[in-house]
Amino acid sequence: MNDQENIEHALAVDDAPVDTEGALARFRARVGREGVLPVSAAPRRRIAARWLQALAAAAAIVLVASGLALSGAADSILKIFEPKSVVGVPLTQGDLNTLGQACAGLELEQCLGAYGTFAWDTPPQPKEVTTLAAASSAAGFSVKTPSSLPIGVTGQPRYGVINKSSATFTFSADATQRTAAKQSRTTPPLPANIDGSKLFITGGPAVVQIWGVPQSSSPTVGSGMPTLVVGQAKSPVVSSDGVTVPELQSYLLAQPGVSPQLAAAIRAISDPASTLPVPVPAELAVSHQVTVQGVSGLFIGDNTGIASAILWQKDGMMFEVIGALTERQALDVANSMK
Amino acid sequence: MGLSVTLPASGHDSRATALPIAFERLFRTEYGRVVGIANRILNDTAEAEDVAQEVFFSFYRTHAADASYASAWLHAAAAHSALNALRARARRDRREAADAVAPDAADPADPAARVVAAETRDEVRAVLARLPERSAALLALRYSGLSYAEIAAALDVRASSVGTLLRRAEEAFRRELA
Repeated sequence: MNDQENIEHALAVDDAPVDTEGALARFRARVGREGVLPVSAAPRRRIAARWLQALAAAAAIVLVASGLALSGAADSILKIFEPKSVVGVPLTQGDLNTLGQACAGLELEQCLGAYGTFAWDTPPQPKEVTTLAAASSAAGFSVKTPSSLPIGVTGQPRYGVINKSSATFTFSADATQRTAAKQSRTTPPLPANIDGSKLFITGGPAVVQIWGVPQSSSPTVGSGMPTLVVGQAKSPVVSSDGVTVPELQSYLLAQPGVSPQLAAAIRAISDPASTLPVPVPAELAVSHQVTVQGVSGLFIGDNTGIASAILWQKDGMMFEVIGALTERQALDVANSMK
Repeated sequence: MGLSVTLPASGHDSRATALPIAFERLFRTEYGRVVGIANRILNDTAEAEDVAQEVFFSFYRTHAADASYASAWLHAAAAHSALNALRARARRDRREAADAVAPDAADPADPAARVVAAETRDEVRAVLARLPERSAALLALRYSGLSYAEIAAALDVRASSVGTLLRRAEEAFRRELA
Protein backbone atom coordinates (compact mmCIF):
# COMPACT_ATOMS: atom_id res chain seq x y z
CA MET A 1 0.00 0.00 0.00
CA ASN A 2 1.56 3.32 -1.02
CA ASP A 3 1.42 6.61 0.90
CA GLN A 4 -1.63 7.94 -0.91
CA GLU A 5 -3.50 4.71 -0.30
CA ASN A 6 -2.54 4.84 3.37
CA ILE A 7 -3.92 8.35 3.71
CA GLU A 8 -7.00 7.47 1.72
CA HIS A 9 -7.53 4.53 4.05
CA ALA A 10 -7.04 6.72 7.13
CA LEU A 11 -9.52 9.29 5.85
CA ALA A 12 -12.04 6.72 4.66
CA VAL A 13 -15.56 7.23 5.94
CA ASP A 14 -18.88 5.52 5.49
CA ASP A 15 -20.30 7.53 2.63
CA ALA A 16 -23.92 6.74 3.33
CA PRO A 17 -26.27 7.86 0.56
CA VAL A 18 -27.83 11.24 1.26
CA ASP A 19 -31.45 12.19 0.80
CA THR A 20 -31.00 15.30 -1.32
CA GLU A 21 -34.72 15.89 -1.86
CA GLY A 22 -35.40 15.58 1.86
CA ALA A 23 -32.59 17.99 2.59
CA LEU A 24 -33.95 20.42 0.01
CA ALA A 25 -37.39 20.23 1.61
CA ARG A 26 -35.86 21.06 5.02
CA PHE A 27 -33.99 23.93 3.43
CA ARG A 28 -37.17 25.33 1.84
CA ALA A 29 -38.97 25.12 5.17
CA ARG A 30 -36.20 27.01 6.93
CA VAL A 31 -36.12 29.74 4.29
CA GLY A 32 -39.89 30.10 4.65
CA ARG A 33 -39.71 30.10 8.44
CA GLU A 34 -36.97 32.72 8.62
CA GLY A 35 -38.22 34.82 5.71
CA VAL A 36 -34.81 35.02 4.07
CA LEU A 37 -34.79 36.53 0.62
CA PRO A 38 -32.79 35.13 -2.29
CA VAL A 39 -30.20 37.26 -4.00
CA SER A 40 -31.34 37.88 -7.55
CA ALA A 41 -30.70 40.03 -10.66
CA ALA A 42 -27.54 38.54 -12.08
CA PRO A 43 -25.30 41.56 -12.79
CA ARG A 44 -26.00 43.21 -9.47
CA ARG A 45 -25.94 40.14 -7.38
CA ARG A 46 -22.45 39.24 -8.49
CA ILE A 47 -21.28 42.63 -7.32
CA ALA A 48 -23.35 42.49 -4.16
CA ALA A 49 -22.05 39.03 -3.44
CA ARG A 50 -18.46 40.09 -3.95
CA TRP A 51 -18.98 43.11 -1.78
CA LEU A 52 -20.69 41.22 0.96
CA GLN A 53 -18.22 38.41 0.81
CA ALA A 54 -15.23 40.69 1.11
CA LEU A 55 -16.74 43.49 3.12
CA ALA A 56 -16.16 42.10 6.58
CA ALA A 57 -12.50 41.42 6.08
CA ALA A 58 -11.81 44.41 3.88
CA ALA A 59 -13.70 46.87 6.02
CA ALA A 60 -11.92 45.65 9.12
CA ILE A 61 -8.52 46.22 7.62
CA VAL A 62 -9.44 49.45 5.90
CA LEU A 63 -11.30 50.87 8.86
CA VAL A 64 -8.63 50.04 11.38
CA ALA A 65 -5.72 51.01 9.20
CA SER A 66 -7.19 54.33 8.19
CA GLY A 67 -8.06 55.44 11.66
CA LEU A 68 -4.58 55.37 13.02
CA ALA A 69 -3.02 58.63 12.05
CA LEU A 70 -4.07 60.33 15.23
CA SER A 71 -1.33 59.49 17.68
CA GLY A 72 -1.62 59.89 21.40
CA ALA A 73 -0.28 58.88 24.74
CA ALA A 74 -0.42 55.25 25.73
CA ASP A 75 -2.55 54.17 28.67
CA SER A 76 -5.40 56.45 27.72
CA ILE A 77 -8.51 55.86 25.69
CA LEU A 78 -8.25 57.75 22.46
CA LYS A 79 -10.90 58.47 19.91
CA ILE A 80 -8.93 57.56 16.83
CA PHE A 81 -11.63 57.43 14.21
CA GLU A 82 -14.88 59.25 13.70
CA PRO A 83 -15.81 59.70 10.06
CA LYS A 84 -16.88 63.07 8.78
CA SER A 85 -16.61 62.16 5.11
CA VAL A 86 -16.47 59.10 2.88
CA VAL A 87 -14.03 58.16 0.14
CA GLY A 88 -13.77 55.19 -2.20
CA VAL A 89 -10.84 52.82 -1.86
CA PRO A 90 -10.37 50.57 -4.89
CA LEU A 91 -10.07 46.87 -4.19
CA THR A 92 -8.54 44.80 -6.97
CA GLN A 93 -9.82 41.38 -7.97
CA GLY A 94 -6.82 39.97 -6.12
CA ASP A 95 -7.81 41.78 -2.91
CA LEU A 96 -11.36 40.51 -3.25
CA ASN A 97 -10.31 36.95 -3.95
CA THR A 98 -7.86 36.85 -1.08
CA LEU A 99 -10.07 38.53 1.46
CA GLY A 100 -13.29 36.91 0.29
CA GLN A 101 -11.95 33.40 -0.09
CA ALA A 102 -10.25 33.58 3.28
CA CYS A 103 -13.62 34.17 4.86
CA ALA A 104 -15.71 31.62 2.94
CA GLY A 105 -17.90 29.92 5.49
CA LEU A 106 -16.50 31.90 8.40
CA GLU A 107 -18.21 34.36 10.70
CA LEU A 108 -16.95 37.94 11.14
CA GLU A 109 -15.40 37.01 14.46
CA GLN A 110 -13.47 34.19 12.82
CA CYS A 111 -12.17 36.40 10.01
CA LEU A 112 -10.97 39.00 12.47
CA GLY A 113 -9.67 36.19 14.66
CA ALA A 114 -6.74 35.99 12.29
CA TYR A 115 -5.27 38.99 14.09
CA GLY A 116 -6.70 38.78 17.57
CA THR A 117 -9.92 38.49 19.49
CA PHE A 118 -13.10 40.16 18.32
CA ALA A 119 -15.93 40.22 20.82
CA TRP A 120 -19.29 41.91 20.66
CA ASP A 121 -20.05 43.85 23.81
CA THR A 122 -23.49 44.69 22.45
CA PRO A 123 -24.20 42.76 19.25
CA PRO A 124 -26.35 44.25 16.48
CA GLN A 125 -29.91 42.95 16.68
CA PRO A 126 -32.01 44.06 13.71
CA LYS A 127 -35.75 44.26 14.09
CA GLU A 128 -38.55 45.39 11.87
CA VAL A 129 -41.00 48.15 12.73
CA THR A 130 -44.06 49.21 10.80
CA THR A 131 -43.82 52.99 10.56
CA LEU A 132 -41.26 55.72 10.06
CA ALA A 133 -42.23 57.22 13.42
CA ALA A 134 -41.58 53.90 15.13
CA ALA A 135 -38.21 53.68 13.41
CA SER A 136 -37.28 57.18 14.62
CA SER A 137 -38.42 56.34 18.12
CA ALA A 138 -36.49 53.07 18.24
CA ALA A 139 -33.33 54.62 16.80
CA GLY A 140 -33.48 57.75 18.94
CA PHE A 141 -32.99 60.15 16.06
CA SER A 142 -35.12 61.77 13.37
CA VAL A 143 -35.06 59.47 10.33
CA LYS A 144 -34.86 61.23 6.98
CA THR A 145 -36.84 59.77 4.10
CA PRO A 146 -36.96 60.65 0.38
CA SER A 147 -39.66 63.16 -0.49
CA SER A 148 -39.67 61.99 -4.10
CA LEU A 149 -39.10 58.55 -5.55
CA PRO A 150 -37.94 57.65 -9.06
CA ILE A 151 -40.24 55.97 -11.53
CA GLY A 152 -40.40 52.28 -10.81
CA VAL A 153 -40.08 52.63 -7.06
CA THR A 154 -43.54 52.39 -5.60
CA GLY A 155 -45.42 51.28 -2.55
CA GLN A 156 -44.68 51.51 1.12
CA PRO A 157 -41.18 50.77 2.37
CA ARG A 158 -40.33 48.30 5.11
CA TYR A 159 -38.40 49.69 8.05
CA GLY A 160 -35.55 47.93 9.83
CA VAL A 161 -33.85 49.23 12.97
CA ILE A 162 -30.47 48.10 14.26
CA ASN A 163 -29.56 48.95 17.84
CA LYS A 164 -26.37 50.76 18.91
CA SER A 165 -23.72 48.06 18.87
CA SER A 166 -20.25 47.89 20.29
CA ALA A 167 -17.34 45.52 20.08
CA THR A 168 -13.80 45.19 21.33
CA PHE A 169 -10.92 43.94 19.27
CA THR A 170 -7.73 42.81 21.02
CA PHE A 171 -4.61 42.33 18.90
CA SER A 172 -2.77 39.06 19.46
CA ALA A 173 0.70 38.19 18.25
CA ASP A 174 -0.03 34.50 18.86
CA ALA A 175 -3.20 34.55 16.77
CA THR A 176 -1.41 36.38 13.97
CA GLN A 177 1.41 33.86 13.88
CA ARG A 178 -0.96 30.89 14.06
CA THR A 179 -2.94 32.26 11.14
CA ALA A 180 0.18 32.85 9.09
CA ALA A 181 1.34 29.31 9.81
CA LYS A 182 -2.03 27.86 8.85
CA GLN A 183 -2.01 29.75 5.58
CA SER A 184 1.63 28.86 4.92
CA ARG A 185 2.33 32.56 4.64
CA THR A 186 4.98 34.79 6.04
CA THR A 187 3.69 37.71 8.01
CA PRO A 188 5.64 40.44 9.79
CA PRO A 189 5.81 39.90 13.57
CA LEU A 190 3.28 41.93 15.55
CA PRO A 191 5.16 44.70 17.37
CA ALA A 192 5.23 44.05 21.12
CA ASN A 193 3.44 47.28 21.94
CA ILE A 194 0.54 46.36 19.65
CA ASP A 195 0.18 42.84 21.06
CA GLY A 196 -2.63 42.98 23.59
CA SER A 197 -3.75 46.49 22.72
CA LYS A 198 -7.46 47.06 22.22
CA LEU A 199 -9.74 48.87 19.81
CA PHE A 200 -13.24 49.81 20.96
CA ILE A 201 -15.69 50.02 18.07
CA THR A 202 -19.15 51.56 18.34
CA GLY A 203 -21.70 51.72 15.54
CA GLY A 204 -25.35 52.66 15.17
CA PRO A 205 -28.18 52.87 15.89
CA ALA A 206 -29.14 52.53 12.25
CA VAL A 207 -32.37 52.55 10.26
CA VAL A 208 -32.90 51.08 6.81
CA GLN A 209 -35.89 51.76 4.60
CA ILE A 210 -36.42 49.22 1.86
CA TRP A 211 -38.73 49.53 -1.13
CA GLY A 212 -39.69 46.67 -3.42
CA VAL A 213 -39.73 43.86 -0.88
CA PRO A 214 -43.12 42.26 -0.29
CA GLN A 215 -44.62 42.70 3.16
CA SER A 216 -45.29 38.97 3.38
CA SER A 217 -42.81 36.91 5.34
CA SER A 218 -42.89 34.36 2.53
CA PRO A 219 -41.32 36.23 -0.36
CA THR A 220 -42.11 34.91 -3.78
CA VAL A 221 -39.45 34.03 -6.28
CA GLY A 222 -38.28 36.90 -8.43
CA SER A 223 -39.57 39.67 -6.22
CA GLY A 224 -36.94 39.50 -3.52
CA MET A 225 -34.56 42.19 -4.73
CA PRO A 226 -35.28 45.63 -3.32
CA THR A 227 -35.64 48.47 -5.79
CA LEU A 228 -34.38 51.08 -3.33
CA VAL A 229 -32.60 50.97 0.02
CA VAL A 230 -32.06 54.06 2.14
CA GLY A 231 -29.91 53.79 5.25
CA GLN A 232 -29.10 56.19 8.05
CA ALA A 233 -26.85 55.52 11.02
CA LYS A 234 -24.98 57.30 13.74
CA SER A 235 -21.39 57.54 12.58
CA PRO A 236 -19.19 54.75 13.91
CA VAL A 237 -16.46 55.62 16.37
CA VAL A 238 -13.25 53.70 16.99
CA SER A 239 -11.28 54.30 20.17
CA SER A 240 -8.01 52.79 21.29
CA ASP A 241 -6.32 52.14 24.59
CA GLY A 242 -3.10 53.38 23.10
CA VAL A 243 -1.33 51.76 20.18
CA THR A 244 1.68 53.09 18.32
CA VAL A 245 -0.05 54.52 15.31
CA PRO A 246 2.54 54.48 12.50
CA GLU A 247 3.66 50.98 13.44
CA LEU A 248 0.14 49.62 13.47
CA GLN A 249 -0.75 51.22 10.17
CA SER A 250 2.41 49.91 8.54
CA TYR A 251 1.87 46.50 10.08
CA LEU A 252 -1.71 46.11 8.87
CA LEU A 253 -0.99 47.38 5.40
CA ALA A 254 1.92 44.95 5.07
CA GLN A 255 -0.32 41.95 5.74
CA PRO A 256 -0.68 39.23 3.12
CA GLY A 257 -3.83 39.94 1.13
CA VAL A 258 -3.46 43.72 1.21
CA SER A 259 -2.20 44.71 -2.21
CA PRO A 260 0.28 47.55 -2.71
CA GLN A 261 -2.46 49.45 -4.56
CA LEU A 262 -4.84 49.19 -1.61
CA ALA A 263 -2.12 50.14 0.86
CA ALA A 264 -1.18 53.15 -1.26
CA ALA A 265 -4.81 54.25 -1.54
CA ILE A 266 -5.24 54.14 2.23
CA ARG A 267 -1.98 55.98 2.87
CA ALA A 268 -3.11 58.66 0.42
CA ILE A 269 -6.11 59.60 2.54
CA SER A 270 -5.21 63.01 3.84
CA ASP A 271 -7.30 62.93 7.00
CA PRO A 272 -7.64 59.28 7.90
CA ALA A 273 -8.97 59.93 11.38
CA SER A 274 -12.19 61.36 9.99
CA THR A 275 -12.54 59.73 6.58
CA LEU A 276 -14.47 56.50 6.09
CA PRO A 277 -12.87 54.48 3.31
CA VAL A 278 -15.47 52.46 1.40
CA PRO A 279 -14.13 49.39 -0.43
CA VAL A 280 -15.00 49.58 -4.12
CA PRO A 281 -14.27 46.58 -6.38
CA ALA A 282 -12.08 48.27 -8.98
CA GLU A 283 -12.87 45.89 -11.82
CA LEU A 284 -16.61 45.75 -11.17
CA ALA A 285 -17.58 49.26 -10.19
CA VAL A 286 -16.72 52.89 -10.65
CA SER A 287 -16.72 55.59 -8.00
CA HIS A 288 -16.24 59.31 -7.72
CA GLN A 289 -16.97 62.14 -5.34
CA VAL A 290 -20.31 63.95 -5.67
CA THR A 291 -21.99 66.81 -3.86
CA VAL A 292 -25.06 65.62 -1.99
CA GLN A 293 -27.12 67.51 0.59
CA GLY A 294 -24.47 70.25 0.36
CA VAL A 295 -21.57 68.02 1.43
CA SER A 296 -19.08 65.81 -0.35
CA GLY A 297 -20.29 62.25 -0.82
CA LEU A 298 -19.29 59.15 -2.71
CA PHE A 299 -21.02 57.73 -5.77
CA ILE A 300 -20.49 54.04 -6.57
CA GLY A 301 -21.92 52.52 -9.71
CA ASP A 302 -21.51 49.05 -11.15
CA ASN A 303 -19.97 48.76 -14.58
CA THR A 304 -23.22 47.68 -16.18
CA GLY A 305 -24.85 50.97 -15.18
CA ILE A 306 -27.89 49.39 -13.58
CA ALA A 307 -27.06 49.87 -9.92
CA SER A 308 -25.91 52.91 -7.97
CA ALA A 309 -25.04 53.78 -4.43
CA ILE A 310 -24.43 57.15 -2.82
CA LEU A 311 -22.94 57.49 0.65
CA TRP A 312 -22.36 60.65 2.61
CA GLN A 313 -21.86 61.94 6.11
CA LYS A 314 -23.57 64.95 7.61
CA ASP A 315 -24.24 66.18 11.15
CA GLY A 316 -22.79 63.09 12.79
CA MET A 317 -24.85 60.69 10.69
CA MET A 318 -23.93 58.36 7.83
CA PHE A 319 -26.41 58.05 4.96
CA GLU A 320 -26.67 55.68 2.01
CA VAL A 321 -28.96 55.35 -0.97
CA ILE A 322 -28.69 52.13 -2.97
CA GLY A 323 -30.84 50.97 -5.82
CA ALA A 324 -31.31 49.93 -9.40
CA LEU A 325 -30.94 53.58 -10.35
CA THR A 326 -28.90 55.82 -12.58
CA GLU A 327 -26.50 58.23 -10.93
CA ARG A 328 -28.91 61.09 -11.58
CA GLN A 329 -31.84 59.23 -10.02
CA ALA A 330 -29.76 58.22 -7.00
CA LEU A 331 -28.65 61.82 -6.48
CA ASP A 332 -32.23 63.06 -6.78
CA VAL A 333 -33.36 60.57 -4.15
CA ALA A 334 -30.48 61.53 -1.86
CA ASN A 335 -31.07 65.26 -2.24
CA SER A 336 -34.81 64.88 -1.64
CA MET A 337 -34.29 63.34 1.80
CA LYS A 338 -35.68 65.40 4.62
CA MET B 1 -23.53 50.88 8.03
CA GLY B 2 -23.26 47.85 5.78
CA LEU B 3 -24.68 47.10 2.41
CA SER B 4 -26.72 44.09 3.41
CA VAL B 5 -30.39 44.52 2.66
CA THR B 6 -31.94 41.50 4.33
CA LEU B 7 -34.68 42.46 6.73
CA PRO B 8 -35.83 40.21 9.51
CA ALA B 9 -39.09 38.47 8.82
CA SER B 10 -42.15 40.29 10.04
CA GLY B 11 -43.63 37.06 11.31
CA HIS B 12 -43.20 33.33 11.46
CA ASP B 13 -44.35 31.17 8.63
CA SER B 14 -43.87 27.46 8.70
CA ARG B 15 -44.80 26.98 5.04
CA ALA B 16 -42.05 25.93 2.70
CA THR B 17 -40.96 28.63 0.29
CA ALA B 18 -40.34 28.16 -3.41
CA LEU B 19 -36.67 28.70 -4.15
CA PRO B 20 -35.17 30.15 -7.33
CA ILE B 21 -34.80 27.42 -9.95
CA ALA B 22 -31.08 28.09 -10.27
CA PHE B 23 -30.62 27.59 -6.55
CA GLU B 24 -32.55 24.31 -6.53
CA ARG B 25 -30.38 23.10 -9.40
CA LEU B 26 -27.24 24.09 -7.51
CA PHE B 27 -28.50 22.40 -4.36
CA ARG B 28 -29.27 19.14 -6.18
CA THR B 29 -25.92 19.19 -7.97
CA GLU B 30 -23.73 20.04 -5.01
CA TYR B 31 -25.51 18.83 -1.87
CA GLY B 32 -24.06 15.32 -1.99
CA ARG B 33 -20.57 16.61 -2.56
CA VAL B 34 -20.82 19.24 0.20
CA VAL B 35 -22.01 16.54 2.63
CA GLY B 36 -19.19 14.30 1.39
CA ILE B 37 -16.52 16.92 2.10
CA ALA B 38 -17.94 17.62 5.55
CA ASN B 39 -18.29 13.92 6.30
CA ARG B 40 -14.70 13.27 5.25
CA ILE B 41 -13.69 15.65 8.05
CA LEU B 42 -16.32 14.77 10.65
CA ASN B 43 -16.94 11.08 9.96
CA ASP B 44 -20.53 11.64 11.03
CA THR B 45 -23.12 11.79 8.27
CA ALA B 46 -25.80 13.48 10.39
CA GLU B 47 -23.41 16.21 11.55
CA ALA B 48 -22.11 16.58 7.99
CA GLU B 49 -25.68 17.12 6.77
CA ASP B 50 -26.17 19.81 9.44
CA VAL B 51 -23.00 21.51 8.22
CA ALA B 52 -24.21 21.28 4.63
CA GLN B 53 -27.52 22.95 5.54
CA GLU B 54 -25.65 25.83 7.18
CA VAL B 55 -23.29 26.17 4.23
CA PHE B 56 -26.14 26.35 1.72
CA PHE B 57 -28.08 28.74 3.95
CA SER B 58 -25.11 31.05 4.27
CA PHE B 59 -24.63 30.96 0.51
CA TYR B 60 -28.33 31.54 -0.20
CA ARG B 61 -28.43 34.69 1.90
CA THR B 62 -25.59 36.48 0.16
CA HIS B 63 -24.81 34.93 -3.21
CA ALA B 64 -26.53 34.31 -6.49
CA ALA B 65 -27.06 30.67 -7.36
CA ASP B 66 -25.70 31.18 -10.86
CA ALA B 67 -22.52 32.90 -9.67
CA SER B 68 -19.50 31.47 -11.46
CA TYR B 69 -17.80 30.76 -8.15
CA ALA B 70 -20.81 29.04 -6.53
CA SER B 71 -19.42 25.50 -6.46
CA ALA B 72 -15.95 26.60 -5.39
CA TRP B 73 -17.44 28.69 -2.59
CA LEU B 74 -19.56 25.79 -1.36
CA HIS B 75 -16.62 23.38 -1.39
CA ALA B 76 -14.39 25.78 0.56
CA ALA B 77 -17.15 26.64 3.01
CA ALA B 78 -17.91 22.94 3.54
CA ALA B 79 -14.30 22.26 4.47
CA HIS B 80 -13.89 25.32 6.69
CA SER B 81 -17.24 24.85 8.43
CA ALA B 82 -16.64 21.15 9.03
CA LEU B 83 -13.18 21.87 10.44
CA ASN B 84 -14.75 24.43 12.77
CA ALA B 85 -17.31 21.84 13.87
CA LEU B 86 -14.53 19.27 14.36
CA ARG B 87 -12.55 21.63 16.58
CA ALA B 88 -15.68 22.50 18.56
CA ARG B 89 -16.29 18.79 19.00
CA ALA B 90 -12.70 18.31 20.21
CA ARG B 91 -13.09 21.10 22.76
CA ARG B 92 -16.38 19.62 23.93
CA ASP B 93 -14.83 16.15 24.24
CA ARG B 94 -11.96 17.54 26.27
CA ARG B 95 -14.36 19.27 28.63
CA GLU B 96 -16.47 16.14 29.03
CA ALA B 97 -13.38 13.99 29.56
CA ALA B 98 -12.19 16.34 32.25
CA ASP B 99 -15.58 16.21 33.95
CA ALA B 100 -16.06 12.47 33.63
CA VAL B 101 -14.89 9.86 36.12
CA ALA B 102 -12.33 7.63 34.40
CA PRO B 103 -13.64 4.11 33.87
CA ASP B 104 -11.74 1.26 35.41
CA ALA B 105 -11.59 -0.62 32.16
CA ALA B 106 -12.84 -0.49 28.59
CA ASP B 107 -16.35 -1.75 27.97
CA PRO B 108 -15.84 -5.49 27.71
CA ALA B 109 -18.82 -5.75 25.43
CA ASP B 110 -16.96 -3.86 22.69
CA PRO B 111 -15.12 -6.14 20.30
CA ALA B 112 -11.43 -5.25 20.32
CA ALA B 113 -11.30 -4.63 16.63
CA ARG B 114 -14.11 -2.13 16.86
CA VAL B 115 -12.38 -0.28 19.65
CA VAL B 116 -9.16 -0.06 17.68
CA ALA B 117 -10.99 1.12 14.58
CA ALA B 118 -12.90 3.75 16.53
CA GLU B 119 -9.75 4.97 18.23
CA THR B 120 -8.01 5.20 14.86
CA ARG B 121 -10.89 7.18 13.39
CA ASP B 122 -10.87 9.52 16.38
CA GLU B 123 -7.13 9.92 16.09
CA VAL B 124 -7.39 10.74 12.40
CA ARG B 125 -10.00 13.42 13.17
CA ALA B 126 -7.80 14.80 15.95
CA VAL B 127 -4.91 15.05 13.51
CA LEU B 128 -7.11 16.86 10.98
CA ALA B 129 -8.17 19.31 13.69
CA ARG B 130 -4.53 20.04 14.53
CA LEU B 131 -3.33 20.51 10.95
CA PRO B 132 -3.07 23.98 9.44
CA GLU B 133 -6.47 25.01 8.05
CA ARG B 134 -5.44 24.96 4.42
CA SER B 135 -3.67 21.60 4.69
CA ALA B 136 -6.67 19.97 6.34
CA ALA B 137 -9.03 21.50 3.78
CA LEU B 138 -6.78 20.33 0.95
CA LEU B 139 -6.81 16.74 2.19
CA ALA B 140 -10.55 16.75 2.74
CA LEU B 141 -11.25 18.14 -0.71
CA ARG B 142 -8.80 15.86 -2.49
CA TYR B 143 -9.90 12.68 -0.76
CA SER B 144 -13.53 13.63 -1.36
CA GLY B 145 -12.77 13.30 -5.04
CA LEU B 146 -12.30 16.90 -6.16
CA SER B 147 -9.97 17.50 -9.09
CA TYR B 148 -6.88 19.68 -8.84
CA ALA B 149 -8.75 22.40 -10.76
CA GLU B 150 -11.70 22.25 -8.35
CA ILE B 151 -9.37 22.37 -5.34
CA ALA B 152 -7.54 25.35 -6.83
CA ALA B 153 -10.82 27.21 -7.33
CA ALA B 154 -12.07 26.41 -3.84
CA LEU B 155 -8.90 27.38 -1.99
CA ASP B 156 -7.88 30.20 -4.32
CA VAL B 157 -4.50 28.76 -5.20
CA ARG B 158 -2.91 28.15 -8.57
CA ALA B 159 -3.81 24.79 -10.10
CA SER B 160 -0.11 24.22 -10.76
CA SER B 161 0.55 24.55 -7.00
CA VAL B 162 -2.04 22.04 -5.86
CA GLY B 163 0.23 19.01 -6.31
CA THR B 164 3.00 20.54 -4.22
CA LEU B 165 0.62 21.80 -1.54
CA LEU B 166 -1.07 18.42 -1.42
CA ARG B 167 2.22 16.60 -0.93
CA ARG B 168 3.12 18.96 1.92
CA ALA B 169 -0.29 18.44 3.48
CA GLU B 170 0.09 14.67 3.19
CA GLU B 171 3.53 14.82 4.79
CA ALA B 172 2.20 16.96 7.63
CA PHE B 173 -0.68 14.53 8.08
CA ARG B 174 1.68 11.54 8.23
CA ARG B 175 3.98 13.30 10.70
CA GLU B 176 1.08 14.16 13.00
CA LEU B 177 -0.37 10.66 12.76
CA ALA B 178 2.94 8.95 13.47
